[in-house]
Amino acid sequence: MKINAQFVNPFIQAGINVIKQIANIQVRRGHLSYKEHPEPSYGVCIIIGVYGFLKGQVVYSMKTEVAKRVVDKMLEGKSPEEKKLLFVDTLGELANMITGNATALLNQNEKYSLKITTPAIATGENLNVMLVPKPALILGLYTQYGPIEISVALEEEEVLSEVETTDEVLNEI
Amino acid sequence: MSKRILIVDDANFIRTMVKDVLIPRGFEIAGEATNGNEAVKMYEELKPDLVTMDITMKEKDGLQAAKEILERHPEAKIIMVTALGQEKMLLDSFKIGVKDFVVKPFKPERIISAVEKALA
Repeated sequence: MKINAQFVNPFIQAGINVIKQIANIQVRRGHLSYKEHPEPSYGVCIIIGVYGFLKGQVVYSMKTEVAKRVVDKMLEGKSPEEKKLLFVDTLGELANMITGNATALLNQNEKYSLKITTPAIATGENLNVMLVPKPALILGLYTQYGPIEISVALEEEEVLSEVETTDEVLNEI
Repeated sequence: MSKRILIVDDANFIRTMVKDVLIPRGFEIAGEATNGNEAVKMYEELKPDLVTMDITMKEKDGLQAAKEILERHPEAKIIMVTALGQEKMLLDSFKIGVKDFVVKPFKPERIISAVEKALA
């Protein structure tokens, strides 16, 4: 298995900063774990593809109740009808901003760029989504409303750093 | 006369945020586009005073759309409003003639200052 733990820290930093700034919600860093694939743990799921010198997917997931509270804070001042109308779009943009900000931290080289896809959003208890068959590091961001899970399944296109065990990956972070 | 702004972003959330910042400041929203193709077409139709342009969009991205608009209308005033704050994106944008580069999420005063500076 080839996976690089350095790709995860920018998502922790970007997640904490973006959620604080856009929704005024305090976030604390939770545990890290590992999965064979980046499948979501909760009923609301947002998938963003990353391509360039890194390739893969970042999958965000949270419970419906958490998603509603986060969107409610992001759209403070809007009517309940507007909040309902903008619900999916707003979640997608939250994931887009975290991923975009993380790519800026991952890539500070003016010669290369990392591009991301527009977000794909799925909701429901029995999610059926297309995920890359890559190992993922899973990080939990804890809010007062519940956890937001970010699964980072990224690999370098050419050179990959080898690690032997999951513990080795987690110790690097 | 109030300045007319074309907002280009595939996310309704961001278009709403930009409108909420600019309308109370006396700007008029000339139109809203959700991808690069629409942006190029609407620029021709509306001839706005300024465009706020996202980068990551389906069909045609914002850098390509900005390039096409500026090739036909070198006087066009475009500011990028994007989550992709990478050095190369910033350099590529300025190279094609974009006036400013605002990274999302933004504070209201950052958008206002970028728009006012570009229009000055």
